[in-house]
Amino acid sequence: MEEKKLTQQESLELISKMIKETHTNIEKGGGNIFLLWGYLWLVVALVVYTAILQTGDYRAQWLWFAMPIIGYPSMYFMLKRQEKMAVTFVSKTISKIWIVMGTCALLLSLFILINPAAFPILFVMALIINAGVALSGLVLEYKIISVVGFIGILLSFALLMIPGINKILVFAIFPIIMLIIPGHILNSARNV
Amino acid sequence: MFKELDPLLHSQLRLAIMSLLISLAQADFVFLKEKTNSTSGNLSVQLDKLSEAGYIKIEKGYKGKKPRTTCQITPLGRKAFENYLEALKTYF
Repeated sequence: MEEKKLTQQESLELISKMIKETHTNIEKGGGNIFLLWGYLWLVVALVVYTAILQTGDYRAQWLWFAMPIIGYPSMYFMLKRQEKMAVTFVSKTISKIWIVMGTCALLLSLFILINPAAFPILFVMALIINAGVALSGLVLEYKIISVVGFIGILLSFALLMIPGINKILVFAIFPIIMLIIPGHILNSARNV
Repeated sequence: MFKELDPLLHSQLRLAIMSLLISLAQADFVFLKEKTNSTSGNLSVQLDKLSEAGYIKIEKGYKGKKPRTTCQITPLGRKAFENYLEALKTYF
């Protein structure tokens, strides 16, 4: 493209063409963060469930801390490695949503160390993460992600009704619906 | 009555750059070069012109060991782009 003067018609066409270019620029790895947290959540939940089932020792709950210990550094390196040639307003907004959600989740899990009976942690965590998924879906204008987010918010309340160790098993199902499936959908969408 | 078009924006490459940046929070040099199909030298010159006018903000840094230049539109640039569109409308 050279530095040439344009007619008014050419100007309009150029503006329209360039704006369209930014719309087709779906960022690479958009679903990878969903997949990272989704699989991590699934694996840790199943490990905690199995450990308690096998040993009967509730100290296995400490294994939940594998999530922030593995998740946050992995996310940091994943974001650092991503080649972001252009940042859309949508991706910036979504990052900010997850910074807020992540901070809340981290502080809540630290508070539970001080007072383990303060609140039903699995319910609160599920609610926060599902709210994050629903908000991301709304901002992305991705219907399926918004829908699974809202379903997740609704299903979170089931964790208040299920007694004992089984609630961990239900908690393990959440990431499959709320993070893993949307993550794969997002990644396949950018490959189209 | 025709309104005068901002001469800084009424040029093919500079208008293309501004049209890309208006829809993005930020974009790097390589992205702009690819999308505008321009040469590095020409793009550099036009970016400097837009930056000198206060229409865009240029940040030079490093990504790992590679140099990286990122650009984002300023409030002044956004206003200039809106005015340009308003002026353009008077021609149709």
